[in-house]
Amino acid sequence: MAGLQDIRRRIRSVKNTQQVTKAMKMISAVKLRKSQERLVALRPYASKMMEVVRRVVGRIRGDSEIQPGPAAQAFLSPREEKRIRVVLVASDKGLCGGFNANVLKAATAFVSECQAEIVHVDVIGKRAAEWAKKRRLVPAGEYLNIPLAGFQRVVTEISQGASEQYHAGEIDALYVIYNYFNSAVAQTPTVFRVFPMAMDRTHEGRDAMEVPHLLEPDPNSVLETLLPRFVETELLRNLLESSASEHGARMAAMDKASNNAGEMIAKLTLTMNKIRQASITNQIIEIVSGANA
Amino acid sequence: MSQLIKLEVVTPERPVFSAEVAEVQFPTAARGYYGILPGHTPLMTEVGDGLLYYFQEGQKHWITVFGGFAEVGPDRVTILARESETMDMIDLERAEASRQRALKLLKEAQTEHDMANAQAKLDASLIRLQAAGHPSGHGF
Repeated sequence: MAGLQDIRRRIRSVKNTQQVTKAMKMISAVKLRKSQERLVALRPYASKMMEVVRRVVGRIRGDSEIQPGPAAQAFLSPREEKRIRVVLVASDKGLCGGFNANVLKAATAFVSECQAEIVHVDVIGKRAAEWAKKRRLVPAGEYLNIPLAGFQRVVTEISQGASEQYHAGEIDALYVIYNYFNSAVAQTPTVFRVFPMAMDRTHEGRDAMEVPHLLEPDPNSVLETLLPRFVETELLRNLLESSASEHGARMAAMDKASNNAGEMIAKLTLTMNKIRQASITNQIIEIVSGANA
Repeated sequence: MSQLIKLEVVTPERPVFSAEVAEVQFPTAARGYYGILPGHTPLMTEVGDGLLYYFQEGQKHWITVFGGFAEVGPDRVTILARESETMDMIDLERAEASRQRALKLLKEAQTEHDMANAQAKLDASLIRLQAAGHPSGHGF
């Protein structure tokens, strides 16, 4: 009865795997809650900030009286996009379904379609770093194993660096590629341009009655604190979106794995019982036919 | 011209307040208090630390604000605060403890940097106590 032994061993092995996936699912659920809470709290602030900055920038862009400072230049005097900086956000660990594959696919598509030269790549997460290496894009900034509490530091570093680069004429735009968090089970890979800011008609002089903002005490002191704050807020939001997406994706993947393991155990148990029953039936037949003889 | 202003206060931690009000007064970083009535010209400025007052049906209410930005339009005031609390969010005991701690730090401060830090902490705790109508907050 070697078959029976084998099946028993397989059931034990699948059960072990199931325990691991169940534990990972629960850990991801806790981490998801933490990231999601911070993301949901930040989103209203970020969207208000976006709205305000769009309104202010839309109306004062092209105002010859304002001499923009280093941080404001990226917003107020957009240049033709020839050289760009890209921030790619993925995860450090795998086992999270299509999370990394999707965002890296979006990154690949972006790189191949992009007209401008990519002069600076920041990678966040080991998977993003591996992707960049495969494509011989040497990452200028590599951020691995960043905990939730470390996001602010990363964000400040990138934001300051990027606005200095714009000021120095080294880059013309800053892009972020990340997973947007729709819900715990759905993420959308997203390419987002932080600056120069995309303006459509709704933001540019939407209401002729409205005049440009007074910037008090003076334009530069307001813009030079507001705009870096805006860049940081957006980057922080993007990192949180990605973090929540990652844990959501992992939770969903591990839930599915646990279910599959359960199904497999049920099938194997059924086969095992059939074999056992068959052997018992055989033995009975042997005994009965032996007694008859 | 509409008779009310849409006042919205948000912080990175949470949306704090949103309502239609008749008048807003908020502290700015550079120029003291600004009073905003409906129909105000568009304005963008930095917010200081202190109490933001708003008027609803003739009643004066207030919330705390600590730094950030204010955008004013004819029918809206949007405050992107670094920190902000409504009255029910203030923890009186914590604010009082923080005031005591700040006073102690202020006495022990060696450098100007320590001094400024302690003073900022003291100011923040006093603003919270004043907001909650606590005796220690008076005479601020």
